[in-house]
Amino acid sequence: MGLKNKIMFVVQRPPYKSEDPKLALTHALSSGVTSIHIDEEVVPTVAFIGDGILNCVRDQKSMEAYGIISNERHIKNMLATDTKTLVCKEDIERLGIKEERLIDASDMGADMTIKVVPFNEILKEMEENDHLMFF
Amino acid sequence: MKLGLFFSDLHGIEDTYDRINSQELGVFLVSNGIYHAVLKENGKPSKILNKKGASFYVLKEDLHTRGFSEGEVDSRVKVISYDDLVDLVMDRYEKLAWI
Repeated sequence: MGLKNKIMFVVQRPPYKSEDPKLALTHALSSGVTSIHIDEEVVPTVAFIGDGILNCVRDQKSMEAYGIISNERHIKNMLATDTKTLVCKEDIERLGIKEERLIDASDMGADMTIKVVPFNEILKEMEENDHLMFF
Repeated sequence: MKLGLFFSDLHGIEDTYDRINSQELGVFLVSNGIYHAVLKENGKPSKILNKKGASFYVLKEDLHTRGFSEGEVDSRVKVISYDDLVDLVMDRYEKLAWI
């Protein structure tokens, strides 16, 4: 493996009405496959800010209601594949979402959990990444 | 006028909504509009729900899709199914609009 590419996906829109959050999640998930095809290791980080934090609320039943894979499922897959996943503390507080309402993938054996951090920490993470993509 | 308004966003629609008046107003919270029924932004329920005389409905399927349940819905909002929505749209409101 040659170079290392750090890509940060910043999700700022709420789920489902717009496809943007789902695109961010599936792109982040595909990073492992990308590494196979190009001579670069791709290291994704996903951060949820603003109304985008609503993607991280657990118990999404989109499969039952509409027959579509939930954003929760994608986030759980991300956690199970050790993708660093950050949620803005100020925004979950603003919208009244308690930390225990956030998605957890321990039932899939994931060690990685969603990390609730102040926006300043997300900014630092942006500085440390090579590429930024907003969704 | 008996007007049914569909809300499908959390932010960016308040200004228009505040200025709308109708003899009978029904507000349908669908898609990302459901957050008005369940969130307390900065500790307060959505201002959308303060409109006097309006009836508020939230679509159950969209509520469940986003990880929320009936028990979290503001008491001013009635939880309805798709079948209920169709009945209301056909029987109760003369005009419908997405805001």
